[in-house]
Amino acid sequence: MDTLADTTLLSLDALSLARGRADVLDNVTFTLGRGQTVGLIGESGAGKSTIALAIIGLLRAPQVALRGSIRFDGVELTTLPESEYRRLRGNRIGLIFQDATAALNPCFTVGAHLAEPLSRHLGLQARERRQRSIELLESVGIGEAALRLDAFPHELSGGMQQRVMIAMALACDPQLLIADEPTSALDVTIQAQIMELILERVRARAASAIFVLHDLALAAQVCDRVVVLYAGQVVEEAPAAELFADPRHPYTRALRACSIELGERDALVPIPGAVPGLEDLPGGCRFAPRCERASARCAQTPPLVTDGTRRIACWHA
Amino acid sequence: MLNRLFAQVGQTALVLFFVSVASFVFLKLAPGDPVSLMLGSDYNKDSYDKLFTELGLDRPWAAQYASWLGDFVTGDWGRSFVSNEDIFRLAVMQALPVTLCLAAYALVLALLIGIPAGVLSALKRDTWMDLCATGVAVFGNAFPSFYLGIVLIWVFGVGLGWFPTLGFVAPWENLLEGLWYLTLPAITLAAWYIGLIARVTRASLLDVLGHSYILAARARGEGSARVVWVHAMRNVLMPLTTTIGLQLGGMLRGAVMTEVVFALPGLGMMITAATLNREYTVVQAGVMLSGLLFVIVNLVVDQLYTWLDPRLRRLA
Amino acid sequence: MSAPRSMQVPAVPATRSGALAEGWSAVWAQRSARWGMGIVLAYVLAALFAPWLATHDPVAQAVEAAMQAPSTAHWLGTDSFGQDIYSRLLYGARLALAIGFGSVLLGMVAGVALGLIAGLAGGRIEWAIMRVVDGLLAFPELILAMAFLAVLGPGVDNLVYALALSFVGPFARTVRSDVLQVRAQPYVEAARLMGVPMREIVLRHVLLNVAPGIVVQAGIRVSIAILLESGLSFLGVGVVPPTPDWGLMIAEGRAFITMAPWISGIPGLALAILLVALNLLADGLRDALDPRSGETR
Repeated sequence: MDTLADTTLLSLDALSLARGRADVLDNVTFTLGRGQTVGLIGESGAGKSTIALAIIGLLRAPQVALRGSIRFDGVELTTLPESEYRRLRGNRIGLIFQDATAALNPCFTVGAHLAEPLSRHLGLQARERRQRSIELLESVGIGEAALRLDAFPHELSGGMQQRVMIAMALACDPQLLIADEPTSALDVTIQAQIMELILERVRARAASAIFVLHDLALAAQVCDRVVVLYAGQVVEEAPAAELFADPRHPYTRALRACSIELGERDALVPIPGAVPGLEDLPGGCRFAPRCERASARCAQTPPLVTDGTRRIACWHA
Repeated sequence: MLNRLFAQVGQTALVLFFVSVASFVFLKLAPGDPVSLMLGSDYNKDSYDKLFTELGLDRPWAAQYASWLGDFVTGDWGRSFVSNEDIFRLAVMQALPVTLCLAAYALVLALLIGIPAGVLSALKRDTWMDLCATGVAVFGNAFPSFYLGIVLIWVFGVGLGWFPTLGFVAPWENLLEGLWYLTLPAITLAAWYIGLIARVTRASLLDVLGHSYILAARARGEGSARVVWVHAMRNVLMPLTTTIGLQLGGMLRGAVMTEVVFALPGLGMMITAATLNREYTVVQAGVMLSGLLFVIVNLVVDQLYTWLDPRLRRLA
Repeated sequence: MSAPRSMQVPAVPATRSGALAEGWSAVWAQRSARWGMGIVLAYVLAALFAPWLATHDPVAQAVEAAMQAPSTAHWLGTDSFGQDIYSRLLYGARLALAIGFGSVLLGMVAGVALGLIAGLAGGRIEWAIMRVVDGLLAFPELILAMAFLAVLGPGVDNLVYALALSFVGPFARTVRSDVLQVRAQPYVEAARLMGVPMREIVLRHVLLNVAPGIVVQAGIRVSIAILLESGLSFLGVGVVPPTPDWGLMIAEGRAFITMAPWISGIPGLALAILLVALNLLADGLRDALDPRSGETR
């Protein structure tokens, strides 16, 4: 077990989360090794962002009903006292939000934003904070960093704001960086830059990262492993390249078919139907109502079966 | 930002011009003849005509307005017929500071009570605490201040004897005693504002707490107290300031009533007494002064608002 | 594609009666607004039937019966002139509601007219009207009403005029900004391009669309009007004694608060409850008809 603890940074074990009557997550299990990157893929409402918030401890009891375990660097997080959890957030676990414009406080300057984790977690004094903030801004490719410290978020472009978000998330050298669709609020031209920047920063620090994405092709490019989620359940998990080359679960296949990167336009096939509401989920396989291969067997819940390097939950795979 | 300030000062100047015209027209419309009032019942045609010309009442209105405005600006506001006191001294040196002290004290009280009540109400939403705070807010907001003043005098002044019931000691001469005398009036005036502030704080805080920058602050490891009081409240200050600014009329309304109930020698008392005595020059001075005060405070609130919201600060 | 036979004004989102019913049910859906409405209704009924409900002549003085505590003869006691407080309370409700609603109605008619003219005419007329409105708004409403009363002297009708005058500004400003907003709407533009006369556009689109804002404003003002009315009477510059008026009753009982707290206490409570109910009702109206305005107005 010791060796496992050494190579594993984060492990989710049978994590279930319910909010009121809605079962947002059901039995989610996956692990993340040190220095690894994992991608969480799925449509909106699949529970990707919920996983991110659950890991960083912003969705906890009594606000939601949480079962299962989240272990981070050998520590069980679900039972961790709030005061200790606070020491992890923004310090050893960094979170990059989807929409930086909304995630930056309009009344605080960039400098004030950056200074917060630096003083809270690292205890830096004003002068060191300023020095470190400038370095951070420079490291995420913001020029004239000293001037930008006094700028308010609305005075920056969307890409700049996201860079500030990244700088903040990296301020305390986290072991784990969670990026929740970090580029989807940005212009297409800037998306690649920002993604590249995050990857480069993560690699430079030998940190681990979780990318929440909805684009399978992008996930295949930037992640070591990919976890495919559907309606709060893991339906398939595999090394990124393998999954992209040979998706086994019908849902993963459909997602791949949706991906524009695939090439020819006529290969673009929409998935029929919509993600079911989380308050009245179908029994058995949750994807069955939309699945072209659904059969009588799918009325029973398929188990997540390990097959070599991948795991899959489908009767027909 | 300066451009905005200039534009607003220009607009304010225009409004002030209309305020002065309205005040002047008011004086002209007032019944009774200033000349006969000044001469008393015993006068003849000659002395009447002489004074009429002396006062410039034979000149056209525009000229009269100009000289009136000149006098007004230079602080020559005439003398009270009743007490023969200089009206400028009466209004600006004596009454105004009293009203300002009362209003400031009440505002501080209202903020000290209203903001925590609103925050508590928002954080404990839909619990009995929220219900209580909302109930107190609704009643405080509707309770007529003059009746509340009477009740407070009755309970805390006469019944318990904690506070003096009437009278005024200038806080600038004896701070502690002055505040002690002003406490019941300030509570009376603040009651209305407490409800308003608590309600606005509650609603805005609930709105702000739903924003993702709050979640982001928590994701950086900020404690909940700091998230609420620094990150969220900084954003609540803007709607709060707007509301306080918008409700200045209510503040002045309450101040007039409160002053009369507690016999405080402020602007409200002055205007009320003058209205009862039909002393139009004094009423007019009060009207002009309160209009001026109103406009200036509005300007200040507007500037404060610009200063509080960085998004407005550098757009100009 | 065949041309339509007659040019019809494009329909506004909701029909008149439909909007009314919708607004009504939205108000009714709120518990606090229902409470407010019930209490206000009770006051209105008490005011309407005051002559039948009253046990005494509200202005009949009887020195021998002065300052009596509530009893079977005088349900809520008597004041220092021996006047029956219960009867005065009923007639006082009459006066308060009449002055409150009357002054708001008057101020509303004048303000809406000014706002409509300003918003529709534009140019110099608009400028002139709005500067007058600015002038009116530059004074706190109580001061404006007091100045007006100082000139006209006290009395019920003067009080109504004075209060109405202080309400013209807010109504005019709201209506004008609403008109400007509605005028910029594509469907008004479309109606204009179709040759529908401006008068009809105003009646059909503008007035109908600004109506909710006006109703909300009026709802808020009624409680302010009643507060101001009783306040001015309390100060002695409003209604003159012996008219049964709550403000006067409170002022009269002030001197006897330790001996006979009911003299000022009962009208004070009656006034406070009415104001709370009116506020609840106004809040309900606002939430139902004009949710955008939120708490900050």
